[in-house]
Amino acid sequence: MIWLTWRQFRAQAIAALVILAAAATYLLLSGLGMHHDYAADMASCTPLNDCGSMQNQFQGSYNAAFTLLQLFLIVTPALIGIFWGAPLIGREFENGTHQLAWNQSVMRSRWLAVKLAGVGIASIVMAGLLSFLLTWWAGPLDQINGSRFAAATFSTRDIVPLGYAAFAFALGTTAGLLLRRTVPAMAVTLAVFIGLQILVPATIRPNLLPSTTVTFPVNQATASQADGIFMNNGGSDVYFAGLPVPQGSWVISAPPIEDSSGQVVPASSHLDCFPGPAQGPVPAPGQGPVSAKGGGDRFSQTGACLAGYDLHETVTYQPASHYWPLQWLETGIFLVLAALLSGSCFWLIRRRQN
Amino acid sequence: MTAILQAQSLGKRYGRRQALAECTLEIPPGHVVGLVGPNGAGKTTLLKIACGMLVPTTGRIEVLGEQPAASPAQLARVGYVAQDTPTYANLSVADHLKFGAKLNPRWDAKLAQARIEQLDLDPKQKAGKLSGGQRAQLALTVAVAKRPELLILDEPVASLDPLARRGFLRHLMESVAENDTSVILSSHLVSDLERVCDYLIVLVSSRVQLAGETEDLLAQHHRIVCTRRKDTDLPPELEVIWAEHTDRQSTFFVRSESGVPAGDWSAEHLDLEDLVLTYMERGADPGRRPKTQTARETEEAQAVQAADTTGDAR
Repeated sequence: MIWLTWRQFRAQAIAALVILAAAATYLLLSGLGMHHDYAADMASCTPLNDCGSMQNQFQGSYNAAFTLLQLFLIVTPALIGIFWGAPLIGREFENGTHQLAWNQSVMRSRWLAVKLAGVGIASIVMAGLLSFLLTWWAGPLDQINGSRFAAATFSTRDIVPLGYAAFAFALGTTAGLLLRRTVPAMAVTLAVFIGLQILVPATIRPNLLPSTTVTFPVNQATASQADGIFMNNGGSDVYFAGLPVPQGSWVISAPPIEDSSGQVVPASSHLDCFPGPAQGPVPAPGQGPVSAKGGGDRFSQTGACLAGYDLHETVTYQPASHYWPLQWLETGIFLVLAALLSGSCFWLIRRRQN
Repeated sequence: MTAILQAQSLGKRYGRRQALAECTLEIPPGHVVGLVGPNGAGKTTLLKIACGMLVPTTGRIEVLGEQPAASPAQLARVGYVAQDTPTYANLSVADHLKFGAKLNPRWDAKLAQARIEQLDLDPKQKAGKLSGGQRAQLALTVAVAKRPELLILDEPVASLDPLARRGFLRHLMESVAENDTSVILSSHLVSDLERVCDYLIVLVSSRVQLAGETEDLLAQHHRIVCTRRKDTDLPPELEVIWAEHTDRQSTFFVRSESGVPAGDWSAEHLDLEDLVLTYMERGADPGRRPKTQTARETEEAQAVQAADTTGDAR
């Protein structure tokens, strides 16, 4: 049975090994150079206390590779589900060869168990190796970024890709078993996986562990700590950007400034307090602050001016210390889902009425 | 010795479609069994239940005294070649033999090797590149070399040309004779089965119409041609299977354990093809089936009327 599983999987395994070898070669060569350069740059800039611009430049020169590699690792589990999972049983049904396999002197539950275990473990190992390599490669860049919670970063580092790979593989296998056709099973696998990749970082991951909420009163002290003031929706929402949260934490939500009753306070209520015109072109969040740091005095003045109105801004975040618990939780959830899907395969194959 | 196959009111339903109904059979061991019936009669369903690919909706079945596919040991005792003889397209002929060897404890490598050589198959050839006949032969080789006690073949020759068909059946009979294997073989063509089967099952419209040893069946069935009469006018020991009437003449297909007594008619044995076709016609059109003794009285007029219409039509 192990021979058969290997013989049927051989071509896909070789293709994957070629891709893995190419990726590993690139990551190792490029990574060694990058780590060396980063150490050297840091050594030269630290005495001058001017590492900011060096880091910006360093980040910029690896940005394209960084983005592409993260994308590659996000796609890897999907590819595993599509090319390893979906045909595993789906192609047997499509060609009727399950009738050949199930009438040898091996129970079909064992046939399924060996296939699932063999290719499933290969999936996890493949994703694990790539994740390990990327985590090492991107070390300096992640350090510069300061947070490892960005959606594409968290999903492609450490152990989470292992859970995704196991899940995508089990998903593809189950789809193939249910649909009895390879191509529709591939499509379903891809659709479900993309859906989860959107759903999980946006709605599930932030709520896996209780988050921390801090409330900043709007006053001179708070304003002087902020990076700038954003306005959105034509000035109806006002934010202090870059309020101080512990380093490396993941800001989940930062609603606009509210008054004591929880009402959002538009800029127009306190026009006199804001530096520069509140009307006119107002930058959207992310496009840059109305005023940058350095105009710190003007921020302080705004803060002081608004202090009397009992306004506040809240920030909700996951602290950096939650990185590993969240990694384990998410990996665990997807491993459990993979196990449930695999279990359903056994159940389906026993009841299969073709 | 246990029966090859023992079924009791076996039934299989797909949603609202009844694929097999009230199938009760007991096939004694050591036979080459022909399962014949028109397309869609339920032959494949019955064979799939027998090899454990399908679970029946109702009834019980035992194959070689055990539940089908209940254990690896039972799987080893039954060989199955599915319709269209599936093989792994990207595996070579040699790979298929290795596949058989790895998955079957009783695998007969010598036999398999010999068959491949005899068939002149290239071991390196991918199964996907083989002709239909060669693929069927390969599938049969894998099934035979696992040394089953019972070999189940579902329309193995349906897609083959007449020459390949003959070759396949000859090889089948050779290996069956060598290894003393029982066989159940389905087809919708009687001519395929005529040469090889010594036991016959006719399955029509999901029901078993006839089952028995070919020799006995041939001995028991006669065609009687006589002047026109109703089937009630025949001696009661003759069971009328089918009747055809023209203006002057009646033809009856009758079954009798004791033979046909002399009378004002000519009687002759049916050949296998006529026998099977008669039961197929009867099964496909139950409305024209002669009634049982009690029902006959009440519907007699109707029957004669129906017969008249047939006569006029000719």
